[in-house]
Amino acid sequence: MNSVKLRKLVLPLALAACGLSASQAGAAVFVQCPGDTNGDAIPDTAVDPSVKCVHLAAGDGFSTMADGKVVYGFGFADITGVAPADAINTGLLAANFSAPTIELKEGDKFYLTLTNVGMVIRPDLFDPHTVHFHGFPQQAPVFDGMPEGSFGVNMGSSVTYFYNVLEPGTFIYHCHMEATEHMQMGMLGNLFVRPAQDGTPIAGYTRFAYNDGDGSTGYHKAYPLQLGSLDHNFHDSSEAVQPLPFAEMRDTYTLFNGRGYPDTVNPGALPTPLDPDSGESKNFGNQSQKVSSLVTLDRATEGTRLLLRFSNLNVTNYYTVTALGLPMRVVGGGAHIARGPDPDGAGPLQGKDLYYDTGSVTLGGGEAVDVIVDTAGLPAGTYFLYTTNFNYLSNNDEDFGGMMTEIVVQN
Amino acid sequence: MNTLLHILPRWLGMAATLLLGGMAGTAWAVIDGVSGPTFNLTAKADYISAADGNYIYAWGYANGAGPMQYPGVTMIVNQGDTVTVNLSNELPVPVSIVFPGQQGVVSSGGVTGLIEQEAPAMSGGVPGTVSYTFTATHAGTYLYHSGTQPALQVEMGLLGALIVRPAVANQAYGHANTRFDHEYLFLLTEMDERIHDEVELLVAYEQPVNVDTSIYKPEYWFINGRNAPDTMLEPDTPWLPTQPYNSMPRMHPGEKLLMRVINAGRDLHPLHTHGNNIWVLARDGRMLESAPGTGPDLAFSDFTLRTVPGETYDAIFEWTGKGLDWDIYGTNLAHTCNGKSIGQAQDPGAPTYDPITKEYCADHGKTIPVVLPNLQGLTTGPHYSGSPYLGQFGNLTPGSTLLNENAGYFHMWHSHNEREIVNNDIFPGGMMTMLIIEPPGVAIP
Ligand SMILES: [Cu+2]
Repeated sequence: MNSVKLRKLVLPLALAACGLSASQAGAAVFVQCPGDTNGDAIPDTAVDPSVKCVHLAAGDGFSTMADGKVVYGFGFADITGVAPADAINTGLLAANFSAPTIELKEGDKFYLTLTNVGMVIRPDLFDPHTVHFHGFPQQAPVFDGMPEGSFGVNMGSSVTYFYNVLEPGTFIYHCHMEATEHMQMGMLGNLFVRPAQDGTPIAGYTRFAYNDGDGSTGYHKAYPLQLGSLDHNFHDSSEAVQPLPFAEMRDTYTLFNGRGYPDTVNPGALPTPLDPDSGESKNFGNQSQKVSSLVTLDRATEGTRLLLRFSNLNVTNYYTVTALGLPMRVVGGGAHIARGPDPDGAGPLQGKDLYYDTGSVTLGGGEAVDVIVDTAGLPAGTYFLYTTNFNYLSNNDEDFGGMMTEIVVQN
Repeated sequence: MNTLLHILPRWLGMAATLLLGGMAGTAWAVIDGVSGPTFNLTAKADYISAADGNYIYAWGYANGAGPMQYPGVTMIVNQGDTVTVNLSNELPVPVSIVFPGQQGVVSSGGVTGLIEQEAPAMSGGVPGTVSYTFTATHAGTYLYHSGTQPALQVEMGLLGALIVRPAVANQAYGHANTRFDHEYLFLLTEMDERIHDEVELLVAYEQPVNVDTSIYKPEYWFINGRNAPDTMLEPDTPWLPTQPYNSMPRMHPGEKLLMRVINAGRDLHPLHTHGNNIWVLARDGRMLESAPGTGPDLAFSDFTLRTVPGETYDAIFEWTGKGLDWDIYGTNLAHTCNGKSIGQAQDPGAPTYDPITKEYCADHGKTIPVVLPNLQGLTTGPHYSGSPYLGQFGNLTPGSTLLNENAGYFHMWHSHNEREIVNNDIFPGGMMTMLIIEPPGVAIP
């Protein structure tokens, strides 16, 4: 612990010195957000209301599996609102798993600053990081975060990605640097874009998965649910500075939004991971698992239709999930409404309907599916949502856990 | 982090061939293969080269007396052709070919096998033979493979692609909405080296080839028979004599690129196309159409194509950079969009795209709204030109290698089950390649 604490003191100083020696704003925290005057990624002056800014730190940290195992990982932390001078300090050992959820609206001009704060536990690593906005349409390499065709951002530096957000849907984001390693290590998050149609009453709804023109993707309440899994042996090897077992990679924990059941149904953030010996926080007190997967619907006040934004960002397996006792209707996938090509090219409204009703959906890595669950007429109660790959329905050796959560439907 | 070092010579080798390929203007072409309607295939054994330098014993369908190859000969025929495939077998086991998706396959010669007539094992230096004939009634992308002990023989490499072209050139099917400018094959496979090593030993000692294929732990993943980065080398490169096919899709802005995708492996592979969504037009050689003649009106859009073992897909990828809200050709160099210079307004009713450069004119002259960090803050990749703009070069991290001769846009196309983009324990590799969006004017065969 002492060396870790020392590194917390020394790393920002080292990086600051590095920044001072730089000729320009390359090796330093550098946030770009229109209207922001103090670098905290929050506009201070009146700007175009479509401007949205987020500042993410990329670094490392720990998470707790549902059987109590604490695993080391890499990840992102939301440091929007933090002054540049404090950004690196705030981002150390603050990696979230899942990464902070990014919610956008069609028409947003999205400025995403990524600052690489370095790895506290792996001072030997000088890995760059990136953000890959997976599925962003018509993308150019410069903002794609695929480092072989563009660049990664070095430790102590920032890059600001710019996205003119024109397409609604369920996307995902992740680091693409040495993708197999950094993704297995956990640099994965939910990202979705609400459609321009939101706010317009159609067929009794005001919120929609897509610009459907007829309310058929309307819903009352939405949840992002990211399927994931990890191989704790790989993570342990990384923490112990051992060779990384790519060929032997076998995932041992399956997850929704970075947690296994029953932690999935904890409505709040999980407590900071603790060192089993000392009882101290492994993360400087930072909480790392903030995204609950508990789905609740109070039909008296909220309505009857759920939108489940499924994505899969593990690096090893396909997973199928089912919602026992609840109907599923697939209305989109790949950040596109489930409709065929528009015959007149005048928008997506006229394409052939490809919606389908089902009891389960299957997703491989990098896939996303939009599912509407209509609870009208169904009994109130607690329904289970889980992977039907039963050999993976566990927290490592411990059954019954892993990729499972609850949908609580009230009258 | 250190893993790239192991593979660096391979990437540097690529630099040389990339340049040669570009200068000669050769062979990056269309889909490499053999045109029919008659094919003489020889099943034989040899070694393939994995991109980590490992050699793997494999079986494959050679073109006549040519070298064993992985995958087998890509057979290209026209719709309506009467296709004849004469198989000569130089392996010590019986071998056959089945043609999923074709009806009325008639075999002649050979011996009776479980699901198809087989060419007997080579005996006394005399190859076994069998012939197959069928009419290619439907256009599309198909897989062919051994129907004899396929769990072993397909794993060993006895598989290939069959492409049936419709009457109209540059269409995937008999409908105008399947038109394309460029077409590329993506034949996805994986290998478990243990099985190959065991077969090699049994064959060397003239033992019966009985190998347990129920336990399967692949370490190598392939597109068109090569692991990345070899996927991006030229076809027919001399140092990969048994892996003649590459995977190097290239296009210009505004063009339609047809992906012919085949999953010939055991596992599902999610194929992710950086850059844009694709429209999937057909599955297993049948257009996704609601009624005959409608064209692919049931096509679906996705950013990751789920490929299932044994299935094939035809998909269209397009890219213009439309709506990025900045000028992909930059504001530092003079250029026009619909004849208008930077700063000049478009005429009312002007076309959406420039007819030559395909630039989206609504974004013409708009600067990138952020400042990029200087090089001290970045680690640039080998396929980055150093500039955000298409067709322009810029500064790169000192000492870095540039594998991008035209300042094109490189987008990775890869399995998104990312443990499949390694070669054994080395990243990057495996089931991965790059799309190159080339600036206008760069010749693409
Ligand atoms: Cu990373």
